[in-house]
Amino acid sequence: MIDFVLPSLGADMDLAKLNAWLVKPGDMVHRGQIIAEVETEKAVLEVECWDEGVVEELVLSPGPTRLPVGTLLARIRPLDGAAPQPSPEQPLVEVAASDRPPARPEPRREVLSPPVRHLAHQLGVDLDRLKGSGPDGEITRQDVHGAATARIGEGQRVKASPLARRLADETGIELSSLSASRVTEMVTADDVRAAVRPTPARPDDAPELGAPEGRAETMRRAIARSMARSKREIPHYYLANHIDLERALQWLTLQNEERPISGRILPAALLLKATALALRETPDLNGHWVDEGFRPSDAIHLGVAISLREGGLVAPAIHDADRLGLDEMMSSLRDLVNRARSWRLRSSEMSDPTITVTNLGERGVETAFPVIIPPQVAIVGFGKVVELPVAVDGQPVVHPLVHATLAGDHRVTDGHRGGLFLDALDRLLQEPQSL
Amino acid sequence: MNNEQARQTIFEVLGEIAPEVDPATVDDASDLTEQLDLDSMDYLNWMLGINQATGVEIPQRDVSRFLTIDGAVDYLVTHSG
Repeated sequence: MIDFVLPSLGADMDLAKLNAWLVKPGDMVHRGQIIAEVETEKAVLEVECWDEGVVEELVLSPGPTRLPVGTLLARIRPLDGAAPQPSPEQPLVEVAASDRPPARPEPRREVLSPPVRHLAHQLGVDLDRLKGSGPDGEITRQDVHGAATARIGEGQRVKASPLARRLADETGIELSSLSASRVTEMVTADDVRAAVRPTPARPDDAPELGAPEGRAETMRRAIARSMARSKREIPHYYLANHIDLERALQWLTLQNEERPISGRILPAALLLKATALALRETPDLNGHWVDEGFRPSDAIHLGVAISLREGGLVAPAIHDADRLGLDEMMSSLRDLVNRARSWRLRSSEMSDPTITVTNLGERGVETAFPVIIPPQVAIVGFGKVVELPVAVDGQPVVHPLVHATLAGDHRVTDGHRGGLFLDALDRLLQEPQSL
Repeated sequence: MNNEQARQTIFEVLGEIAPEVDPATVDDASDLTEQLDLDSMDYLNWMLGINQATGVEIPQRDVSRFLTIDGAVDYLVTHSG
């Protein structure tokens, strides 16, 4: 029997309420399936299961009690012959350890590239049920697109959150009869509830989702804890560089002219991709400080600081950011921002960023001096793009520049290393077509 | 599409992005991103929502027309056929 426990939910996130189960005893579950919804001080999170089997018992019911990470939530009976997967309940520091198997599912990794995995994740295609058409059974992008298209034919075209799907099943509401938000393009649980009123199927004692009263205060406390720890423990050093974006933005404008709005790429996606690639050259900025030592991460999971309209911010991860194409980076960013702002993040996104990027330029600031989010060891900041005179071939010209900053943990790296990162970032942004 | 219909659509979509905004308090002639603290993703989502609600395509070169409510209304009325 496999214990399904409350997983690590990010730095300083030790407690969570169980909001809802998305499965019931007897249901088959597979790796990567979202089976529960929990709520921390910072967000409502969808919790994935990393094992395959049948739900034997739901040990705890949804309720207002705050449960510690590691609490037994359910028992899963493994399929015959299926070996239990690495359990997700390891604390963040363990998950980050380079000698541990990855905590996230990597089905058939040897025949599956991360971008394809990512595409499947985005389109909601279950890779385990897909037959690859490439060499050695490799699953290709076409296979994933094909599966997604086939699903449309099966009448499952509507994009909906897992909780919305479960509620729709329980209440007999056709998801296709509901209109998705134009912004998130997704039917939410609230949409389903609105459709079933005045006879809601949800028990009266189930907690309301969305942004309940008081969340801004609890989020403030969580940020306070994390940032105070950072400033108490991490000896920060700061570096900054102006980066000329003339070429990058011209190239982007040309790209976007050919595209419909839905396919347009924002400069932020370009900055994130360049950051991820620059980190390949300076891997000692990417990882975690654990047990008085640095543990580098092979994977580059870029945390993206996303401010919320209600106040506060979250910094969930874009996984394997260095391996995403620019279009995939943009769709991941869009998906992540929209879900963060509708309180629909996943536990793995909160638990495993290996470095964070903050883009305060969006709010009109020219230079950011960001604070590292422990146990990460660096954070990258981008300010507002400003038109400034620069010398090109000895002549003054006006170009768009961005002030890129790096805050590094001096226990792990020195300014020289940080400088190499900013240099690499600059160089990569001068060749936007290669990103 | 007339001015009133365009304005209504524009605010309906805006309501999904910035639900706290009261249309009565918005200055139709001044920069929307500064006024409502919209970032580039909000702004892109807003135009995408308008495009989906009206069918009006907004090429990259016309994006700056949507910096104000007045500009957006004019654009939709002119291009909605």
